[in-house]
Amino acid sequence: MCDTCGCQTTKPSHQDSKLLEINKSLLAANDSVARKNRKHFGEMGARAINLISSPGAGKTTLLEKTAELLSGEFTFAVIEGDIETERDAQRIRAKGIPAVQITTGGACHLDATLVHKGIHLLEKELGKGSPRLIFIENVGNLVCPAAFDLGEHKRVVMVSVPEGSDKPAKYPRAFMGSDLFVITKMDLLPYFDFSIDEAIRCARAINPGISVLTLSAKTGEGMEGWMDFLKSESMNQDEDEDEDVA
Amino acid sequence: MHELSLVQGLFSQVKELAFQHQARKVIRIVVKIGPFSGVVMDSFTFAFEVLKEDEELLRHAHLEIIRPGARLCCNLCEREVDAEKEDLDFKGDMLPGQLFSKEKRCPHCGKGSLYPSGGDEILLMQIEME
Repeated sequence: MCDTCGCQTTKPSHQDSKLLEINKSLLAANDSVARKNRKHFGEMGARAINLISSPGAGKTTLLEKTAELLSGEFTFAVIEGDIETERDAQRIRAKGIPAVQITTGGACHLDATLVHKGIHLLEKELGKGSPRLIFIENVGNLVCPAAFDLGEHKRVVMVSVPEGSDKPAKYPRAFMGSDLFVITKMDLLPYFDFSIDEAIRCARAINPGISVLTLSAKTGEGMEGWMDFLKSESMNQDEDEDEDVA
Repeated sequence: MHELSLVQGLFSQVKELAFQHQARKVIRIVVKIGPFSGVVMDSFTFAFEVLKEDEELLRHAHLEIIRPGARLCCNLCEREVDAEKEDLDFKGDMLPGQLFSKEKRCPHCGKGSLYPSGGDEILLMQIEME
């Protein structure tokens, strides 16, 4: 048995072994595709927004409401990520918004390669025109999607009132990397013990710079803040965040 | 559950390097996983042990995980704090959510609150092969 690591080799140690120092992220391959995606979005003249939440927090409903409230300030399209079915893309298309569906077939998150496929599908769907904003609606999951850069410009994390205000404390990684925290289903606040203060305090303990919006896509409460955020994003076209990419 | 994807990414990097260096087998793989990376160590180890059986090259590989301590930063004085040294009730295997469920005051200025400084790294550090 080897003295070095206890493996079952017949030699006393790995004398003829070679040690390589690497220091490279396990996500290096994903991150490199993500940088290409970001560049691709930029060339389309669009800003990409990655929406992350648990299943049922209201990502698709928020996008449907966004489509209803649009009055020519900006245009958008959606890359839908789900484990199975075309349902979300159909819901978005029914509102007159271009949408493509990526199904992961079981995987719990989108990765940059899947989104790259989504971009090409979307380009086919769009023809020549290009929207100012492209939403990537991630697979409903507050854990795994957080680790994967998809090439988005902004990351939005959502929690709905019925889920409870302890979500930022319980799923910190999703809040660490996000630019905006949206609390949805505010119309249900009277029926749940959800503390807005606790949710914001915990989110900011993890990420002091995170912006917060509270809204209800059902009643329209707070939607103007969301639409303002999107409007200002849609005008934010020239910022090149990937200058280090050759 | 994304630990499986992470190990797949790890193995494709390791296989490429082993091929470049004409190695016959990989003996040891050292990774560094930060306290705020969101990686569940047991799931990562489990995925490693399951997936390595599919690869002749990796079948004898031993996994070593380096887990650096949590570093926090004060939002007011911007000084860094070593969570374990400053005894902020932080234990090495504590989930970040537990760390942030109670508000922590900065031990330097006593006023600011603390937030994570880095610690989300998931890195391949070393490979030993022959």
